[in-house]
Order: sequence, then structure tokens, then C-alpha cells
Amino acid sequence: MRSMVDDARIPKPGFWSNWSSWEEADAQNSLGHDPLLVFPKDKLVEEGSNVTICYVSRIHRDNISCYLEGVQIYGEQLDRSVSAFELKNVSFIRKRGTNVFCKVDQGGALGGIVLFVSKVLEEPKDFSCETQDLKTLTCTWDPGSDTGLSKQPSQSYTLFESFSGKKTLCKHRNWCNWQVAQDSQETYNFTLVAENYLRKRSVSILFNLTQRVHPMTPYNLFPKNVGATNATMTWKVHSIGNNSTLLCQLELLAEGKVIQQHNVSIKVNGEYLLSELEPDTEYVARVRCAYTNHFWKWSELISQKFNTAEAAPSEAPDVWRNMKMVSGHPTVSLFWKPLSKVHANGKILFYNVIVENLDKPSRLEVLSIPAPTRSTELTLDQCSYQIHVTAHNSVGPSPASVIVISGDPGNEEVESGRVNGTEDGFSVSWKPQSGDATGYVVEWCDGPQDLPCALQWKNLGPNTTSTVISSGAFRPGVRYNFRIYEISAKRMAHLLEKKAGYLEELAPSDNPQVVMSNLTSHSFTLSWKDYSTESQPGFIQGYHVYLKPKAGEQCPPAFEKTVLPEDSLCCKHTIDNPEQKTFVVENLQPESVYEFFVTAYTSVGEGPLDAFTKITTLDEYSHILIRIILPMIFCVLIVMIICYLKHQWLKEKCYPDIPDPYKSSVLSLIKSKENPHLTIMNINDCVPDAIEVINKPEGSKIQFLGTRKSLTETEFTKPAYIYLLPTEKNYSGPGPCICFENFTYNQAASDFASCGHFPVTPQAPPHQLGPLTSPENLLKALEQNYMNSLGEIPAGEANLNYVSQLASSTSGDKDSLPTNPPEPALCSEYKMQMVIPLGLASAPPSENSSLSSTTLLGQGEHYR
Amino acid sequence: MKVLAAGVVPLLLVLHWKHGAGSPLPITPVNATCATRHPCHSNLMNQIKNQLTQLNSSAKALFILYYTAQGEPFPNNLDKLCSPNVTDFPPFHANGTERARLVELYRIIAYLGASLGNITRDQKVLNPSAHSLHSKLNATADVMRGLLSNVLCRLCSKYHVAHVDVAYGPDTSGKDVFQKKKLGCQLLGKYKQVIAVVAQAF
Repeated sequence: MRSMVDDARIPKPGFWSNWSSWEEADAQNSLGHDPLLVFPKDKLVEEGSNVTICYVSRIHRDNISCYLEGVQIYGEQLDRSVSAFELKNVSFIRKRGTNVFCKVDQGGALGGIVLFVSKVLEEPKDFSCETQDLKTLTCTWDPGSDTGLSKQPSQSYTLFESFSGKKTLCKHRNWCNWQVAQDSQETYNFTLVAENYLRKRSVSILFNLTQRVHPMTPYNLFPKNVGATNATMTWKVHSIGNNSTLLCQLELLAEGKVIQQHNVSIKVNGEYLLSELEPDTEYVARVRCAYTNHFWKWSELISQKFNTAEAAPSEAPDVWRNMKMVSGHPTVSLFWKPLSKVHANGKILFYNVIVENLDKPSRLEVLSIPAPTRSTELTLDQCSYQIHVTAHNSVGPSPASVIVISGDPGNEEVESGRVNGTEDGFSVSWKPQSGDATGYVVEWCDGPQDLPCALQWKNLGPNTTSTVISSGAFRPGVRYNFRIYEISAKRMAHLLEKKAGYLEELAPSDNPQVVMSNLTSHSFTLSWKDYSTESQPGFIQGYHVYLKPKAGEQCPPAFEKTVLPEDSLCCKHTIDNPEQKTFVVENLQPESVYEFFVTAYTSVGEGPLDAFTKITTLDEYSHILIRIILPMIFCVLIVMIICYLKHQWLKEKCYPDIPDPYKSSVLSLIKSKENPHLTIMNINDCVPDAIEVINKPEGSKIQFLGTRKSLTETEFTKPAYIYLLPTEKNYSGPGPCICFENFTYNQAASDFASCGHFPVTPQAPPHQLGPLTSPENLLKALEQNYMNSLGEIPAGEANLNYVSQLASSTSGDKDSLPTNPPEPALCSEYKMQMVIPLGLASAPPSENSSLSSTTLLGQGEHYR
Repeated sequence: MKVLAAGVVPLLLVLHWKHGAGSPLPITPVNATCATRHPCHSNLMNQIKNQLTQLNSSAKALFILYYTAQGEPFPNNLDKLCSPNVTDFPPFHANGTERARLVELYRIIAYLGASLGNITRDQKVLNPSAHSLHSKLNATADVMRGLLSNVLCRLCSKYHVAHVDVAYGPDTSGKDVFQKKKLGCQLLGKYKQVIAVVAQAF
């Protein structure tokens, strides 16, 4: 063991004492009651140190292992019960220390210690002292790492002044206050001592108090008498001692940049006149001060915003015009750009437009247009006009911008050219026309052609023949049209050139809508006349016509083979004239399927590959067929029309309603094939076997007349039915077939014809009974029957009576017959139509002369 | 003297001079022979039982929280470092009379309270960032103070016992850090074991 004096008041380096003599100790005696002792206890070391840890075991065993942070450590066994472990260059782990323990394996004793590793105490950095008022010194420093542990508090800081011999324990880690002595001590020698359990560090400074003055921040900074171009700034400072002078720096900032800087020496109150200011502009003034006797540090800044007053606009607005004819009158659209902030000198309230007729003296027309409107429209006559435009703010007007409009719009035709776009914009150049140009104007629209034009223009000097037009609104694939005007000495504008260009040409975004026509067996025509080349995203250079012939077929002449993107072979024809919008595809095979597709191309490429359109060429003979078929169709139509017009005549001749048996070909057919003796049936041969009349009262007809109800509404009570009773034994039907009364035929004839009444033709539906169902019609029919029975039948009807040949099989539902006209049923029998002489019809039927229909049909055919 | 200054004196001050949680409600009149500050609650035994139950239910969590915060080798060597072989711990006989049990309980709680004070003080230095452990230690000490007051009230009011001789555990302030950790762990292990028996006895 040895020792050394360690005190800040004792100058370094100190001297070590001599080593003490060695003392001998018995390890076993230090164990006490513990079976295993680990030491040193609560060892505190600095980071990077070497530490030796030992254990003493009561029992002499080899199976003792030691661990640090869970990792076994290996040391040197001094004897069978004592081992030493040297930990080299230990590092800081945590503030609460690290357990180091040794234990006897397999459930034996366990002993341990806690090792505390401290960070190395650093020397304070940036140690300095200063005063704001020459009364208190404030010393500051950077303390570095905190060396505090559970075993060791954080390092302490002590401030020692060697001239006065005073010291103070600092309460804070990085600053400390020192009261300046009243005895006007000017020079100070401070030593800052940092200390913990393991180490001391110190740093010293020597300074003169007046050289460490850091003034306090100025206050009450305000603008005074603020005009359009000047303002006076005032401020105050805290006094330092008696009659001390401060140097203050006044800075003026506009849009964040310092534009003026002034130094002012003051004692307490500061004032400075700022000039050369811009009207209606926001400024920031800021002030800082320093001790004049000896500059040490600027004080903190104090800032103040202020705005200068407005002034009249300093520049004429930039005006341009667009002329057009509306309803025969020249109409001028005037546009102007808003004045820049520098030239507006305040908020523009309105614009004045003064129109002066140059051709004839007249009163000036003055228009006042409120801001922020930037255009107006004037309707003029054929005279020339001079237009003055001025911008006004709250102070006054700007200089006037003058433009002269000629009465004749004169739609000057000038050559059109192309202009190339680059990343910087469009490089537009032109050739001067006259030598007296006072300037040039390039005009264009910022948007695409299909959008409303946001007119833009650029004014250029008289010696300029080219410019670069750039705009953030320019987009690739949009066609921009530029017009270059020359401004004459009379301030009139003449169109000089037109130019069109693309910032960047693109391939067409859509393909032409192609119409196919003139299809023949060997050719067809394609046309796309509606395709606008102006509205494409590039200058159209021509068109590609693609044709897919049928498999194995060669490309037609004028086509060349090409490979499409999907690797299919195709024929391609290039049209290099963008105005040629038709194309005839020739030399095709008849009756073959072709597919075609037309696309435009620009310098960048062609349009998107759309679907092909299929087409089949005609066969070679189709035109001949057309020449034959068309006349035939015409002839057939003529015949049909004739037939329609003469159908009554045809009906009489070909298929009359009442066929003449004597003219019937059936008769001759039967005669010739079956029975040559068969003739037309005579009424005398028709003798019925029996006739039964079932309840046919006369009152039924009277009832119809009396009630005036329609036949369908009135109960058809007990109509007269005549039953033709069969005489043949083989007739086994449920009853006799029914013959119905047919009012449309001769009543007398039907009564005497031994055949039943039949109201209408079987196909007629009930609602077609109208003329007969009304009582009047029925009466007429009855009267007519009656009259007919008296022999007053017209000549045409006097000789023949027609009897219906159908009979219903439903005998049990007689009452419903009028509403349910009989239809050809299973029980119906066909009866040969007969012509019955009127004389026979009026005669009463006799049993001998009656002929059963059954009998008659027995010789012929029965239809069921 | 260090023992009195650091652990026991604050406990006794809290018990006898401080108004606060755990004090019985002033209902019954003061017995002249016993110097309790407030009358005892009529339902005092229930309160004592509830407090014992509360301590018993939180003892295991406190024990785990403690040995975990000490770091290795404590969590994996509980049998060597935290075994409940506290030699001078006050005895408890569950089959004794209520008076005897209350007297033994008083001694145990006094012993535990003082030891808990030492542990709390040590851990605030050794593990300053183990806030949940500090909180749990403080909560346990609070309940113990209330319980001690109730037991004393019961002894005083029913059995007229105004004074009980108590013993305290060894002071750890002079021990090394590893030993402090070990003694604290042993004490909390013993506490976990004893409080279960005591809570069962009441």
C-alpha cells in the first residue's frame, strides 16, 4: 500500500509515499461460517481496468466453477482451496452492477459478489464563463458521460477560483453561477474539478471579466413611420454597468434573405431609418447587440415583421389581343398578364381599358374591369382603334399599355411550318419581314386543341428572331400551334408565321375507323376519311394497311410480308401520304376470307394493334346470278299482284263457293272409275224412311220477336229438330245424327229436304252470328223464307237450294247448339251436296220419296 | 443504531404516529389499560383475516419479482440463495389459543415489516429502475402496517395486551450487495412460506 495527496489546491503532479510492508493473511480464517467465499466484495473499477477475483473454499474440492454474466470464467488455482480469476479490460455493463458467482457443482454451496464497472470520468469540455451584466458569471461546460452507479453517485463538479481562493460546489451537471466580487476583480482564474470515487478531472480558464460580456437580448423592437420605401426601427437594450456602449446590428430580411445590414452604437435606446424599401412588401427586421469595449458574443436576436405602404404600379401591364369576326363585326379579345409583385406596388384593384377610334374623332370609350379579371371582349366596327390598358391600385394607375387594332382582321394567310420540341421547350425562330418592327409576339395555347384555349404570348424585342417557348403546361403528345406576329411602329400586329410542334411526338393512340366498300370478287376499297391528322399525338406520316390472306396465299402486289408482334405473318402496305385516306385492295382471290387492319404512324411508331376485320370476297358468278334472279323475282311479283287484283274472278272460275255438280270433275272421275251409271242424285230418289219431329212449337220464334233478346242471350227453348231415323239395322250409334236448322239457306227447302237445320257453317264462331242473332235479322230471314216459300225467290236462287252436309253427333245437348256450333266430329257424316229443285222443296215430304242419308252413304263412304 | 435508523424506526413511526390506511375505524371506546389511538373496529378479526389473505395471495408474485430483478444466479439457484432458512424468524403455532396466535402474529408481522423496509431501501439503490418491484414491496409494507395495527388493537381490546416484545432480523446495511440480495431473497421466501400457514390458521 502507498498514498498520495490529492487536492485541487496542491499543484500537480503529486508524489507517492513509499510502499508499506507486506502483511500475511490466512485465507481459511477469512471464510467465517461460509463454505465458499468470493471476494473482493462490491468491487468498483473503471471501464478498461483489469480485475482479479478470488474464491476460498472451506473444502478442498476441484469442482467449483465461476461465472460472469452467465458465462463461465477460468482462472488460476493458487492451491486446492483458493483460485484467482483475472478479468482483463472490463467493460461497462449496467449501472446496477454485475453478479459474479462461484458454485460447487451438483448442489453445493454458492457464493458471489457484485462487480461495478464505471465509465471513465471525462474531462469537462467547452468550459467557459461569461456575464450579461458584470455582476454574475455563468460558467458552462459539456460534462460528457455520467459515471453514476448503484455503488457510486454521479460525478460532482466544483468551481475553484484561484485569485480569490473561493470555491463552490455546482448544483448542476453542466453549468454553475459565480457571484462577481464587489472589489472590482477583473481577472479570474477558474478551475472546474469533476470527481467521482475513482478519479478527478479538472480544467482551467483565465480571463478578464470585461472580455466575457454577453449582452442580454434587446427588447421593444418596433417599426415607426412606415412609408412605401422607408421605415424607422426603434429598440432598447439592458444597460451593462455605467455608461457602457453596445454595438447593435440591425438586419433587414425580405423573403428570408438578408437584404440590408446596419451597425448602430447605442447606450440604451436604438433607432435607425431603413430606406430603399419596396412598396407593399413584407420585411423582417432583427437586432442583436454586443459589448463595444471588447467583442465577445452577440446577444440573442429579436425580430419584428412590418409591411411597407403601397405605391402606384410602376410598369404597364403586358397586353395582347385575339381578333375574330362575330356576326360580321370584328371582335377583339383583350388579354393582359397580372403585374408582378415588384411592379404592382400594392393590390391591383381594377384595370382601365380606353378605346380610341383612330379613323374618326369620337368620344373615348372607357371600361373599368375589376381585378383579378385578366381579359375583356370589345366589339368594334371597321375602323382602326388604339386601346390603352392601365392597372390601378389604391394609390394610382400604372403607365398605359398601348395596342392598335386594325378594322380589317385581314385573315392573313402565311406559311405553316413545324417546330421541334426539346426538354427546355419549343425553339421558335422566324424571318423578319420589315425593317421597322418594334418587337415580336409569339402566341400559343397552353392546352390541347380540343380544350378551350388558354391564350399565352411572349413579347420579344425588335432584334430578336428566335426564342424558346417553355411552359409547365406543355405535355408530350399534344400538338401546339404557335403564331409569330410582328409589331409595327404604329403598334399594330401582323401575322408573320405559323408553326406547329410537339414537345415529344408519340405514336397514334387510336386507329382510323375504316369503312369497306366496293367489294368484288377480286378487290375491295378501304376509306377512313373521318380520321383527323391534326388531333393526333404526333405528325402523321402515313398509314399501314395490314392484310391477312388465307393460309398459303401470297401477298397481293403492293403488299410486302411482315411479322406482327404476336409473331403471325401478315401482308403490309405503307401509304406515305397522310392525306391519302382511301386504299383499294386488289388482286384478291374470289370467295376468299381476308382480314385487314389500318393504322396510322408517326415518327415514333404506329398505332395500337387492334383487331382485324374479316371480309369475304364475292365469287365470280354471283353477278350473273343476280342478273337472273332479280328479273324472276320481279315477274313473280307481277303475277302475284295480278292474282290479288283478280281474285274474285279467279274464285268464280276456279273454286266457287257453291260448286256446280255438273261441272265437277269428281263426277266424271267416279263415273269413269267406279260406277258408270252413277248420276247426279234426283230429289225424287231421296225417300226418307221416317221423320220424327220432336217438340217444335211455333212459339219459339214468336218468343224471339217478343222479348227482342239476342239469340245468344235468349234461352233457345225447344227448337225444332228433325231426326232422321235410321232404317238400317247395322246402325248402332247412340242415336240418330242431328241435322241443324240453317237459316242462311232456304227455310222451305231445308224443311222439306228431310235433312236437319244447320245454322251456319261449322267453322263460323258464335260471334259471327251477329246478323242472325238479332231479332230483326231473324225476322228478315223468316220473312225471306216465307217469301221464298211463296215462290218469290230471286231467279238465281229460285232453282237451287243448298243443304248443309254436316250433322253433329251430340244429340243430347241441343239447347247449347247456337253458342256451340257443331264442328266436324266423329259422329258427323258427310253427305253429298245436292241441288234440290224449288218445286220439290216446297212439296211436303212423303215417305216414299224420302231417302235416308244413311242409305245414301251406305253406298258411298262414311267419314268419321 | 443503524438498524433503528434505517428499518425499524420508520416502521414504528408509521405504526404509532401516522394517520393512514390500515388503521381500524374508531367505533368502540378506548380501553383505559391499553394505549391505542383509536377505538377498535367490532369486526376486527374479519379484517385481520382479509389482510392475511391479501398478503398470502401476493406473496408468491413478490418473491418471483424479487429474485428475477436480482439477475443470475438467483432465478436458477433458488435452493441455494433463497431457501427460507431464516434462523431468528419468530415462531408460529397454529394450534394455539387465539391470544397466543395473535401475539405470535404480531411478532411475525413486526419482524417482516422491518425486514421489508430494509429490502425496499436496498432495492431502491441496487435496482433503481425496477419500479414494479418497488411498487409491490411498498404495497406489501402498507398492508402489513394495517395488519399490525389491527392485531395490536385486538390484543389490547380483547386480551388487554398492551405490549408485545418483538425481535427484528439482521440489518443489511453493512452487508455487501450480493449478500443483501441473498438475504432479501431468503426473507421473501420465508415470508411466502409463513404467511400461507398464518393465513390458514386464522
